[in-house]
Amino acid sequence: MSEIVMKLENLSKNYTLGKRSVQALSNLNLQVNKGDFVAIMGPSGSGKTTLLNVLGCLDKPTDGKVLLDGVDISKLPEKELCKIRRRKLGFVFQTFNLLPYLNARENVELPMEGTGLSRSERSRRAKELLQIVNLSGREEHRPHRLSAGEQQRVAIARALANNPAIILADEPTGNVDAKNKREIVTLLANLNLKQETTIIIVTHDGQVAAHTERVLLLKDGKILKEKQGLHSAKKKLMCPHCGSKIQINDTICPSCQKALNTGGEKIVGT
Amino acid sequence: MGIVTRAVRNISRRKMRALLVIIALGFSMAIMISIPAGITANQESTLGLTENLGNTISQTQATINQTLTQIDCTLSSSMEGFGFAPPDMGNSSSMFPGGGGAGGSGFTPGQFGNGTGRPGEFGGGAFGSGGTTAMNESLYLDLSSVEGVAAVSPSLQVSEGTNQTVEMMGRSFTRLVPDYVIEGISVTSELVGNYPVLPTNIIAGRNLQAGDSGVVLLSENNTAFFDAEVGDTIEILDESFEVIGVYGSSGIEDATTLYMNLSDAQALTSNIGYITTVTVFAENSNEVTEVASAISTLHPELSVTTGQQRLEQLESLQESYETALASAEATLAQTQSVAFQEIIVAVAATSLIVLFVMLYTVRERTKEIGTLKAIGFSNWTVMSQFMLEGVLLSLIAGVVGIAIASIAAPTLSGLLLPTASQFGSAGTFSLAATSTSSISIALTPELVLIALGAAVLLGTLGSLYPAWRASRTRPAEAMRYE
Repeated sequence: MSEIVMKLENLSKNYTLGKRSVQALSNLNLQVNKGDFVAIMGPSGSGKTTLLNVLGCLDKPTDGKVLLDGVDISKLPEKELCKIRRRKLGFVFQTFNLLPYLNARENVELPMEGTGLSRSERSRRAKELLQIVNLSGREEHRPHRLSAGEQQRVAIARALANNPAIILADEPTGNVDAKNKREIVTLLANLNLKQETTIIIVTHDGQVAAHTERVLLLKDGKILKEKQGLHSAKKKLMCPHCGSKIQINDTICPSCQKALNTGGEKIVGT
Repeated sequence: MGIVTRAVRNISRRKMRALLVIIALGFSMAIMISIPAGITANQESTLGLTENLGNTISQTQATINQTLTQIDCTLSSSMEGFGFAPPDMGNSSSMFPGGGGAGGSGFTPGQFGNGTGRPGEFGGGAFGSGGTTAMNESLYLDLSSVEGVAAVSPSLQVSEGTNQTVEMMGRSFTRLVPDYVIEGISVTSELVGNYPVLPTNIIAGRNLQAGDSGVVLLSENNTAFFDAEVGDTIEILDESFEVIGVYGSSGIEDATTLYMNLSDAQALTSNIGYITTVTVFAENSNEVTEVASAISTLHPELSVTTGQQRLEQLESLQESYETALASAEATLAQTQSVAFQEIIVAVAATSLIVLFVMLYTVRERTKEIGTLKAIGFSNWTVMSQFMLEGVLLSLIAGVVGIAIASIAAPTLSGLLLPTASQFGSAGTFSLAATSTSSISIALTPELVLIALGAAVLLGTLGSLYPAWRASRTRPAEAMRYE
């Protein structure tokens, strides 16, 4: 049985806009297991980002429980939450949110501050992470000298700095071109496959969602339905079309010759 | 990548803004530094003035107390016939201040008793009509035995100078323009130690002492005339004397009088056995009138004057000193009050500049704050980061302020601090204390350290609220901020 890393129980989140109260999340239940690759989809205002913020300890629910490794984080003080964010979570944002006055390496080193690592260890690890995201040689470049895709890869490296159990990504491909979108999704997918990092991404993009394992469709603060993405097939090393055996790097099924990495329309079952 | 490096990079990120803020803060800091520097200079100047005036007042007071018992005895001009031949006013003359006459060059040795007698004989003295007349010292030894007399101080006063011929009403007069006045004082331990026979305000070297011979005590004016200082040997009437001390004139002594042993003065001016004044000190100030009367009875030829008139002058002088001192202190107090208000304004301005700049910075960087918190930065770290930026900004401004103040402190404090004219005249005394432009304003290391400390403190105060606000920002809200 898979290990539960995150569990939401009857989660609700209300906002007050002026005198009006808006329910962003309503009585939501969700379980995320270790190594899951989850996409949260839904129209604007459906509560995707709110859900991600609650999962990432950036916001507190109005009601219900958020259990992270069995601990209800909704009741924890800010001091504890910042420790959790540092040690267990990694964030990737749509607008990258790199600090403009720091270079790529320094941005990646940032979450490692105060973790006990020496300056040289932090620097070494940052370089390793930048290598993982294919940015070797760009370590000393500041964000404005990097392309959008490169900036997002720096942000992913930064999210991986403290080797988090969960990566939360809010529209990670929202500001990048198609080529970079593929690279970023592949990067996240490989992280999930190779390091068993739990990844939860919020996206509007069906193609991106298709590459995940579980796709949650959110509407009006509720999970409308959950689908299975292509990633589960990759994980199982089985073609979703013909059921024959595939390799992890295959893009086309060797048996049925159908594409394995395109289209959210190929989402299978619920 | 430490917190300090991040703070420095953040400040340098917006160079023009940082520059403008630093200049504004720098000027504010310069004002904060210049005003205390100006005040310190004022205080020092006033303290110096207070000290000088205080010394003068106490000296004057001491002189007044001593003058109370003082009786001056000179030979009355109407008594010149009394054993003293009137001078031969032909070509020689007495050369005392106020003395008329023609020819000669001062009270030259040998001229005394010109043609009519030898020195030491009555009738030979020519000390000037209307001036002081020479007296035979030995005739007045009995003064000390008059009842109520505590001490008798004989002295010889001779002016030395150059003759100047002036035309007046069709007649030609020659008068002496004195360069200096030789005053021979009987320097016995009893007189020197207990009575005001010598100046008291010694500014270099020492005063005359009992037994001194071959030495002189110069006034400040004398030092310029002789171009000499303590330890030098000067020539007076072709005799060598060592300068043992210099006195500052308190306004009581003649500013050109030099003091020496009486016997030296007598020998130097060829007046052995002669004096010009006998100063008698009564035992008690209440008995001065009686003693003066007894002296007049004993020596009717003497013109006896008590210190009453001198006393009045001294009292008037002391009064004006005290007025000046009070005025200086009042002016300083007012200056300090104005300075205090200005410093408060400068401190408030500095804090507000830091406050607004940091508030703006926090607002501008809300998203960054959200990001930092999302990646695990604690409230404290975020707060430290912003506070450090505020403090660094102030510290740089502090250094700039010190640089500005080191150049423009006199101008700034001159502009900001009131001057003497704004508070009215301080009387006859020059109150440099109230005119900062005339004072050298020095930035002491203490003041520089205090200024840097103030910069850190104001930076901390100004950035405290913005930094706290930054640290309290909820990450989810901060991330939504555009």
